[in-house]
Amino acid sequence: MAEPFTHNLVHFTRYLRAQGLRVVPETTAALIDAADVVGLENRPDTYYAFRALAITRPDDIPVFDAAFDLFFGAGGRVASIDPRDVELFPRAPQARVAVPTVSRTTRDGDGSSDVSEQIGASAIERLGMRDFSELTRSEYAEVQRLIARMVWRPSDALSRRWAPSSKGNRPDLRRTLRELTGPARDLMPLEMSAPKSRRRPLLVFADVSGSMERYTEMLLYFVHAARGRLGKVEAFVFSTNLSRITREIRHRDARIALSQVGHAVHDWSSGTLIGDAFADFNRRWSRRVTRGGPVALIISDGWDRGDPELLRREFATFSRSVYRVVWLNPLAGRSGFEPQTRGMQAVLPFVDDFMPAGNLADLTAVVRLLESVPKRRETVHR
Amino acid sequence: MKSVDEVLEALASRRYMAERSLGVAIHLALQLGKPLFLEGEAGVGKTEVAKVLASILDTPLIRLQCYEGLDVGHAVYEWDYARQMLAIRLIEAKGEGAHADVGDIMSREYLVARPLLQAVEASALGQRPVLLIDELDRADEEFEAYLLEMLSDFQVTIPEIGTIAASEPPVVILTSNRTREIHDALKRRCIYHWIDYPDFEREVEIVLRKVPAISEALAADLARAMEKLRSIDLFKPPGVAETLDWAAALSVLGTERLTTESATNTLGVILKYQEDIERLRAGGVEQLVASAR
Repeated sequence: MAEPFTHNLVHFTRYLRAQGLRVVPETTAALIDAADVVGLENRPDTYYAFRALAITRPDDIPVFDAAFDLFFGAGGRVASIDPRDVELFPRAPQARVAVPTVSRTTRDGDGSSDVSEQIGASAIERLGMRDFSELTRSEYAEVQRLIARMVWRPSDALSRRWAPSSKGNRPDLRRTLRELTGPARDLMPLEMSAPKSRRRPLLVFADVSGSMERYTEMLLYFVHAARGRLGKVEAFVFSTNLSRITREIRHRDARIALSQVGHAVHDWSSGTLIGDAFADFNRRWSRRVTRGGPVALIISDGWDRGDPELLRREFATFSRSVYRVVWLNPLAGRSGFEPQTRGMQAVLPFVDDFMPAGNLADLTAVVRLLESVPKRRETVHR
Repeated sequence: MKSVDEVLEALASRRYMAERSLGVAIHLALQLGKPLFLEGEAGVGKTEVAKVLASILDTPLIRLQCYEGLDVGHAVYEWDYARQMLAIRLIEAKGEGAHADVGDIMSREYLVARPLLQAVEASALGQRPVLLIDELDRADEEFEAYLLEMLSDFQVTIPEIGTIAASEPPVVILTSNRTREIHDALKRRCIYHWIDYPDFEREVEIVLRKVPAISEALAADLARAMEKLRSIDLFKPPGVAETLDWAAALSVLGTERLTTESATNTLGVILKYQEDIERLRAGGVEQLVASAR
């Protein structure tokens, strides 16, 4: 391969990485090999070859296409690009933080846990029952910090794998026979195995429509904390559309994660079409994210502008593809609250747990509930 | 096969009509010795690629069907416990007792090779088989991690016997229906290709090649109807496999052109969700047939 071309490929892969594709340094070497195999004369072949090595999911294709045209010219000739120009290409724009700034004075240090635990205790007493919509700016920040520090101990689910266990009820013949090769014994002990446990996944849907405005941000902090503590979390937001925010919410820093969510979602604070959102989910996502019997956490006040019959039908389908449905309504904790909205009425028959989520104590109760979800369903509960 | 064109020709001679992009991916995988990762909706011909490739290369096809909880005992090797037990009883009966070499029952003779070990052993003998790891998305992360290791050095270590290594890596094809995301680390070791639904002309060609009994007019009807069905919001849009089933079904019924009646009678061949069938029965079929003809 010609020297400038190799040089160009290095910049090409770096550019792809800057655009968010998951390429590694070895990709460059792989591209050089591929160019050797398919040659450069036939542009489509070069394109397909590079694409097959650089992308890992269909969503990468448009990004790759743009980059390929930029570097190798749309005209069919392998263009040369000045490496100094590459640095000028903007990275994916950092979203402006639409979230009120939180002063992060205390960090979770190692030695200070006792003291901060005490502060936490009194703060929980003071702020636990206060509705999120009534907090002052500084209290708000404090509650966010408390949410980030909540202790999650969700119960496990049964895995289909087996592990050695003296209490198990399935003979482990491989180990039994292997034991035989050891020192001779009078009795041949039968080794046993039992099912292993695994973390039960969590599936979160947060309503970001106008009626939820005063709660959305705090509840997204809660989702972010869940993702940080549990790992296996799939997250979606909905109002008139459904958007998956699993990737965006992954960032360690809650503020950056939330601003990424802000960027990815286009219909903040508009109306709500819950039925359409779940119809979309059932068709596009359900089969991809409902493996392993997830607990579904739906955070919404149930105000729905759509067709209640559509909502009922789609939510019924949805409820059959998850292990348990927990509906969090920020208004449910208020005295005299009845789930009277048409949307709520339509989904209630399919909800296992209906809980308030208007203050810190409510959220703590949700975390406790996740600890009590049984490993397997004892009886049909519906 | 020395070029992309030759690959495409060989596929076509086995009645597999591939897009050029797939031809490039296969060519690369063979030339660079990397696994080929095929992703796409169900029924677009992912598994078929492996079968056709094994036939072209004239090598055995070794298939590993993935499922949740797939473990070493089913993917790599298992001891033949019944034979081991019998051997022990025999040693006892002969009265050799402590003098017998119990280590013998842990030899290769008592090992049952599962697909991954089969592939490594065949490669070690210079056969270079096609190893199909089908529906990887159904397996769990533990198996994926094992596979990652396996795909980088193609060797199997059995504590009681030793390490068996492939001199030349087998042709590995992994498929996924995307019911979950496969980890990037694994995909990066592979040539990645997303198989899309074929366009109209290609689908007609596929149908005519695979179901030669039907007329060109009917094949075109079906391809157009499928295009339409995939564009409306169904729970499970039909794949190419369904088009072929449909063509075969209509051919059995002696249908010349797609009609509302013949379509209604055969909906169960292409749609597998009650909701989808209901939806079409409630007035969608006439529309579908009208737009297809």
